[in-house]
Amino acid sequence: MSTLLAVENLCVNYGAVEALKGISLELQEGGIVTVLGANGAGKTTLLKAISRLVPIKSGQIKLEGEDLSKFPAYTLANAGIAHIPEGRKVFATLTVEENINLGAYSVRNKLSPKEIAKVKEWIFQLFPVLKERRRQLAGTLSGGEQQMLTISRGLVSRPKVLLLDEPSLGLAPILVQEIFHVIKQIHEEERVSILLVEQNARKALGVASYGYILETGKIAIHGSAAQLREDDRVRAAYLGGARVQPAK
Amino acid sequence: MADITRKVAQKILNSQKSGKTPTKIAPFQLVLLAAAIVLLVAYPFFPFVNNYWIDVGFFVGIYVLLGLSLNIVLGEVGLFDLGHAAFYAIGAYTTGILFTQLHIPIVVLLPISAIVAGGFAYLVTSPIIHLRGDYLCIVTIGIGEIVRITALNNPFGLTKGANGITGIGTPDFGLFSFQTPTHFYYYIWIIVALVIIGLLNLQKSRVGRAWNFIREDEIAAEANGIDVRSYKLLAFVLGAALAGIAGNVYASKMMVISPDNFTFMESCLLFCIVLLGGLGSIPGNMLGAAAIVIFPEIFRQFASYKLLFFGAALVVMMIFRPGGIWPRRREGVGFRGLGISGLPKDEDEFLSKIPKESVLISSGSNSSSPVSIESSAEKADGDVVLVTKSVTMQFGGLTAVNNFDLIVRQGKISSLIGPNGAGKTTLFNVITGIYRPTSGKVVFLGKNITGLKPHTIVSKGIARTFQNIRLFPSLTCIENVMSGPHCHAHSGAWSSILRLPGQKREECRILEIATYRLHQVGLWQYRNELAKNLPYGKQRLLEIARALATSPKLLVLDEPSSGLNDKETEELMDSLKSLIAEGFTLLLIEHDMNVVMGISDWVTVMDMGSKIAEGLPSQIYNNPRVIEAYLGKEE
Amino acid sequence: MRMLLEQFLNGLTIGSFYALVAMGYSMVYGVMKLINFAHGDLFALGSYLGYTVLVIGAGWITQVFGIWGGVAVAITAAMIGIGIAGLVVERIAYRPVYKAGRLPIVVSALGMSIFISNGIMAIWSPRFQAYPQNAIPSEILSFGDIRITLVKLVTLLVSLALMAFIYWLVERTLFGAAVRATALDRDTATLMGINFSKIILFVFFVGPALGAMAGVFAGLNYGRIIFNLGWGYGLKAFTATILGGIGNIPGAMIGGLLLGVMESLFEGFVSGAWKNVFVFLVLIIILIVRPTGLIGEKVAEKV
Repeated sequence: MSTLLAVENLCVNYGAVEALKGISLELQEGGIVTVLGANGAGKTTLLKAISRLVPIKSGQIKLEGEDLSKFPAYTLANAGIAHIPEGRKVFATLTVEENINLGAYSVRNKLSPKEIAKVKEWIFQLFPVLKERRRQLAGTLSGGEQQMLTISRGLVSRPKVLLLDEPSLGLAPILVQEIFHVIKQIHEEERVSILLVEQNARKALGVASYGYILETGKIAIHGSAAQLREDDRVRAAYLGGARVQPAK
Repeated sequence: MADITRKVAQKILNSQKSGKTPTKIAPFQLVLLAAAIVLLVAYPFFPFVNNYWIDVGFFVGIYVLLGLSLNIVLGEVGLFDLGHAAFYAIGAYTTGILFTQLHIPIVVLLPISAIVAGGFAYLVTSPIIHLRGDYLCIVTIGIGEIVRITALNNPFGLTKGANGITGIGTPDFGLFSFQTPTHFYYYIWIIVALVIIGLLNLQKSRVGRAWNFIREDEIAAEANGIDVRSYKLLAFVLGAALAGIAGNVYASKMMVISPDNFTFMESCLLFCIVLLGGLGSIPGNMLGAAAIVIFPEIFRQFASYKLLFFGAALVVMMIFRPGGIWPRRREGVGFRGLGISGLPKDEDEFLSKIPKESVLISSGSNSSSPVSIESSAEKADGDVVLVTKSVTMQFGGLTAVNNFDLIVRQGKISSLIGPNGAGKTTLFNVITGIYRPTSGKVVFLGKNITGLKPHTIVSKGIARTFQNIRLFPSLTCIENVMSGPHCHAHSGAWSSILRLPGQKREECRILEIATYRLHQVGLWQYRNELAKNLPYGKQRLLEIARALATSPKLLVLDEPSSGLNDKETEELMDSLKSLIAEGFTLLLIEHDMNVVMGISDWVTVMDMGSKIAEGLPSQIYNNPRVIEAYLGKEE
Repeated sequence: MRMLLEQFLNGLTIGSFYALVAMGYSMVYGVMKLINFAHGDLFALGSYLGYTVLVIGAGWITQVFGIWGGVAVAITAAMIGIGIAGLVVERIAYRPVYKAGRLPIVVSALGMSIFISNGIMAIWSPRFQAYPQNAIPSEILSFGDIRITLVKLVTLLVSLALMAFIYWLVERTLFGAAVRATALDRDTATLMGINFSKIILFVFFVGPALGAMAGVFAGLNYGRIIFNLGWGYGLKAFTATILGGIGNIPGAMIGGLLLGVMESLFEGFVSGAWKNVFVFLVLIIILIVRPTGLIGEKVAEKV
């Protein structure tokens, strides 16, 4: 298994904030790696840096060994990176179908219409509710449906790497179950490599094989998912166990 | 001679960059001012200046006045007004009509024109003042056109149509009346001088600052106690009144007015004067007006091409110097730039001399002092400060907050936690008046505050900070914090212009409170720096200082530790604890569990808009539902 | 009744001009959040280009292509020329100013508008120019009681056809979806592989080109043009844009047509001198009652 995506010593400034202070991580081909951390830790900035939506101060990002800094942001989708942004950024006044079709925009010359139609069919199997609502405006969908839509939009281009930013954000636990079930399914059926950013550590560690914990721009802990699941520090990092006062 | 000129030019350039020692600049500016005054007074006596050029001088004066009038709306408040010529027209036509029909003397018509123009502005802008920038822009263009076309169409035979009104008299004081260009030249410039003094006083006052706060960030201004709507209207009314005065003087000089004098092009010219000169900059305005009037005169041989050059010049200016010829400088100017009299030269001395009793909230109940509020020391510990009762907030089909009950007790730190998108900030927005809840009540200190406007809620004692810091970026740190005491002060436009004793005392008090709070959060050394230049962690602190300066009883902080490193977070926690000691009550939204568990007295957990748990930190830490919401259910 | 129908048709005609110009405004605003004040003047410039083609071509064009061919040549030349002008304007007056903020861009746009209209005056002359009579088809058609010039009919049909085409392009094709997506969320659109520079190229070429066609038609229908033609049309077209909801292209079309009809009916039945006042009052009332336009989308700011 080769390294598909490599981040080396990445430093990113977000306005006046030093958002990332020397991050290094790896995504193997066919693997699922998760990046966890509290809000404001820098997880979204990491993905935006990989997609070239924010400028990099120093460090390197390599896709299949090739340095991404040469590529303008809009070419990355064609290169095989699909970034599914946090916050369910659907194009609200476009229909569900139009949103999905735009997912194929980057590969409209690479894939034949037949291939694209096949992918769409597969997606509608994964998310039947989207097929039902294909002519509805995306903004009228519920939160969970919008999340399914953004994931679908990313999948249509048959990417090599899926950058998933907090797919469970603001979703009811039962929907979260479904989304993670789908993530597993996508990984198994399509062999897509996934870099998963999440706040929901338990769920993320349930699907990933390796994990990194990000704290204020630095990697605090990393290891296999199994190791992290048992780690007390992970729990402490999320629920502040170190500073709990005795009950008053 | 050339040597001195070079030195002067160098000084101007230097003073435009980051300010060094503030004290050196003032005398230099005084010299410039004196030179300008001498120039203006002596101008008609210069050898080459004949009546034609005196008239040019007159028109520079008119456009300076018009530029200043628009500057209030556009420069100070940041409202896109592209129809300002309407108010100019109203002033001119009021003068024209009332003089020719009722023979009211021109001098009496000056204040009347101002009042009519101001009143007109009030009537037409009231229904549209809330519109977003670009929409407001097009509406003002429409207003400008409506006024012009109305004048053109001669309703009730009053405006005399395309040919306009003729035979308008000149100012007549009985024994003496204005006849020559020289008379009018001094007439307009005396008016301009008085207006400039008034505007400078206004700029450096509570009113002027409020305008700038609105320009920088309307939502933050409203959330800090500024009655945004009223101040916007005030700006329009005042701007219109001044334009009306210009209209009166213009009419009395030209003796003829017609709709052609008040076209959209005229409004464009005024807009350009303000932008070219520099937003909110009075000297810049003067230079801009001079440029607009004089350049076409100089290039008269290219008369038909002058607008062509002008259009190109605008584009070039915006590419290379968008801030204007003489932008208003705030950075490094120091307290001197605030226009408050009676300050010691040494700002540190000012800090040390502040009477603590007058700025702390938990001491004293001197309601005689205009900026104090009632002491909260009377309230016993554990008393309820804030309650939300069954608050629900729906946006279309989405329920962001669902039947939420929240209690915040006196002297405690309460934390609201929950996953992203749970609705915490929405709840804060309901509490602070930005949203009116779909149903439910918000009760503060026993009074129902549901649906009150944000600035009213601030004056009642709730202050907030924002998740994505909302400072006033181009203002200095001390100015930012001075927005806090604003809502407890009362000085209006008139007392500010006239610098009445009560206003001066109030300004001093405002500065005292702001100074104290700025120092309290450890930012005293940054007081004269622009807020946008502060590092992120310090910007957070500045926002907190600003909220403290409103002398609230309840401080509502939205993710105060976001973006702070470990050390800064530790310092923040200590600061928050000391605030409790001073008598504040705190309600936080937080994601950093070290903060929540470390300093909270009570924790409420929100998920998907509903309350899923509440209790002591240790109870929440072990609560399985909370663990599930954050870490997720065991598979 | 006859008057009503004739005014209605007049309204549709001028409304289609507003609509074509308004679509250009909406396109640029939607994607760039910039009010292109120079847009109306590009409409005027288009009108002048068409005029120049017909005057210079004189007899030759109409001989080779026939009178309608001449019209087609004029329109095509104007559209291409003004499309290029639009790109040039973006490059020199807007792109260097984006980083300076909203207000400087407005001033730059105003400056460009003044420059273009005065440039027209300098090149062609401040006086009215008349479209050459021999280049304008002169047939008049009668449908029962109603008479309409062939030029007007063709104007209406071609304008409506072009609007329909643009509607199809923007609302029904993948590229159009890309344009709309860019207007909604530029970053996410980039993630889809949409090249923002290409989108700019499109809106700054097509928008002005549409205006240019309207300009030539205006010249053909009304006969005379003047250098500051763009100002009045631009303002009303912008009103139409707001009516339809800024950034909403089909809305701009409907807004334009609606505005033209309302204006014409008002002019025919109430007063010509007050018609602009009427138009602006309509605008103000709509904005008070429905701040995002008749059809516009809701915009909410995240606090």
